[in-house]
Amino acid sequence: MIFYFRELLLPALVLMPVLLVPLSRLFRTARGALWFGFAGNSLAGLAGCGAIVCVFLFGKIYAAGDWLMLDMLSAWHLAVLLLITMLCSLYSVIYFLRESQAGKFDLKTARRYVMLSLGSLSAIVLTLLSNNLGMMWVGLEATTLLTAFLICLNATPTALEAMWKYLLMCSVGVALAFAGILIVAASTSAAHFEQPEFLLWSRMMESAGQLDARLLKVGFIFLVVGFGTKAGLAPMHSWLPDAHSQAPAPVSAVFSGFLLNAALYCILRYVPLLDAALGGGGWAGGILVLFGLVSILIAAVFIVAQRDLKRLLAYSSVEHMGIIALGIGLGGLGVFAALFHVLNHSLCKTLSFFCAGRLDQKYGAHDMRKLTGILKTSPVWGTGLFGGLLALIGLAPFAVFISEFLVLKAAWDKGAIWALALFVTGLCIVFVGVLRHAIAMAWEDAPHGMERERIRGLELFLMALPLATLLTLGLWMPEPLNSFLTQAAAILGGK
Amino acid sequence: MMNNLVDLVLAFLLLSGFGLLGSSRLVSCIRISAAQGIALGFLILAGNFGALSLRVMLIVAAVVALKGFVFPRLLVRALRESETSREVQPFVGYVGSLVIGVVILIVSFWLGLKAALPVASSLMVTVAFFLFLTGLFLIIARKTAVNQVVGYLVMENGIYTFGFAAAGEIPALVELGVLLDVFVAVFVMGIAIYRINSTFDHIDSDQLRSLRG
Repeated sequence: MIFYFRELLLPALVLMPVLLVPLSRLFRTARGALWFGFAGNSLAGLAGCGAIVCVFLFGKIYAAGDWLMLDMLSAWHLAVLLLITMLCSLYSVIYFLRESQAGKFDLKTARRYVMLSLGSLSAIVLTLLSNNLGMMWVGLEATTLLTAFLICLNATPTALEAMWKYLLMCSVGVALAFAGILIVAASTSAAHFEQPEFLLWSRMMESAGQLDARLLKVGFIFLVVGFGTKAGLAPMHSWLPDAHSQAPAPVSAVFSGFLLNAALYCILRYVPLLDAALGGGGWAGGILVLFGLVSILIAAVFIVAQRDLKRLLAYSSVEHMGIIALGIGLGGLGVFAALFHVLNHSLCKTLSFFCAGRLDQKYGAHDMRKLTGILKTSPVWGTGLFGGLLALIGLAPFAVFISEFLVLKAAWDKGAIWALALFVTGLCIVFVGVLRHAIAMAWEDAPHGMERERIRGLELFLMALPLATLLTLGLWMPEPLNSFLTQAAAILGGK
Repeated sequence: MMNNLVDLVLAFLLLSGFGLLGSSRLVSCIRISAAQGIALGFLILAGNFGALSLRVMLIVAAVVALKGFVFPRLLVRALRESETSREVQPFVGYVGSLVIGVVILIVSFWLGLKAALPVASSLMVTVAFFLFLTGLFLIIARKTAVNQVVGYLVMENGIYTFGFAAAGEIPALVELGVLLDVFVAVFVMGIAIYRINSTFDHIDSDQLRSLRG
């Protein structure tokens, strides 16, 4: 009985959000449609929780002729995804209702937002659950197409330019990744996989010894550059600051909070494959370390020169994707740290975008020189932004500090002194660059005539939950989370 | 006999790449890319002549219909309706583009020899890389949106050529490549609905600064 239930759970998870889409037509007000979006995301969240508990209790789940698979690694990413999308859909109710008061948001846009966000949720879940590497690519391609229209929800010229840049760069990236998959497929010719088992990750892992290692290496480079474009790894990141700064805040939060991770996840799946085929880790890790360090340093330079809050947050995403790639590349403890960092970064980046969006509505600007006195004028979102920025730069009691420290330790253990030095340099530059702005925004005098905002319960909850979680995880790691992360890291050959 | 035909088509694909790099009118760029799409169909047919299956026929039909007829027609119409310049507006001049084309060709020959993929002819891999890199160059070096879409189509042709060179017998993977064409459809839609003319010129320099650095 329970066996059949598990068989059905994974396809249901993929299909449910997209099947809910037509129902959004039933709602006659923007408010109703937005709350429906939240309900849909929560429903997916509940089903996802069920699936994750199943994995915990019974181990890996396969479904749909082994084309879908949920193991600890995908379960971890799924958990972060569903948490982030739930928070974002709740926030979107607050954010867009304020927009509609300003006359910038109507029922039609609300429906479009809900349809596109539920559709892209389905696509991301498909990416995470695919055991078939071809299907995984299809999922990621679909997210690119759907999210492009979320950027230009308000079709201003700058938003359109950002959308075009995003579409063009990411479609080239997706095409490169497709070439990579073709090469990886060519490398399996000696193993003679037949149709339904062809390109299944789990089958390829079992017979990794028969794969052509040289072709696999060539394919991996294509895949890292291709998927890396979507993941915002430098130097392929140039679409990212435009898209993140032009999209509405709830969309930017999902973009930064999870979409980048979904693309990175696709790269991660190939790392153990290469390690197994090459008979010993290191080669794929080395490439990831390289891209990680380049991302951290390039982002650090741009963060210092930044005046626009949302662009600052976007570059900070490039930096954090770099940290995750670096951790995975270093291996050992680094994998555990990187996976922990996925949650930490997603939480504090969504929080920061929430605050940036609401402050933008209040001040009418996301230029940091105009956003002054935020603690006084907006006690909730001002505190959230200040706390979020401090967490982002890795200040001590927050969980980001712990995961960054563990990545440092992994570099030290491995004797990668150069990587360690460059990583610390990048962190220091970002620390100073962001702190300078954060202090000015918090304590400089507010613009004249700016009123203090009332504190609302729901807004307080949305701000306090991520911040409190980050603080708690920084001080205390619960045992189930620890074992979850350890088992997920083991799949990538970590500690 | 069939090998001769394959070589002939490959030579045409190479020449058409240079044609795209050197031509100054958008309409002729679109026509060349259409011819390339049809040539690609011939290449797939000729390459699989011994074992023509229903699957191959369907892929050829889809490729030729989309790349040879549907997209070019839509692009020409979008061009007419958007009332933009019919010129290519290159960031890199035509002579410079041709020189870069030669460099790309040399690199592709080198890659084709070096890659040593399990394929029938290494020339096919060379042409695949050449189209791929040429497409990428066109996307970067041309300002107008229509021309960037043409660049993307050329890049895609490279991937198809590669897919059939390296992975001809691979089940159900080359078909997925047709999904790349969805992007082209969305691009064309973007041009038609949102009137995107070129990447930058509709935004004044003041706003442009806000999207920089």
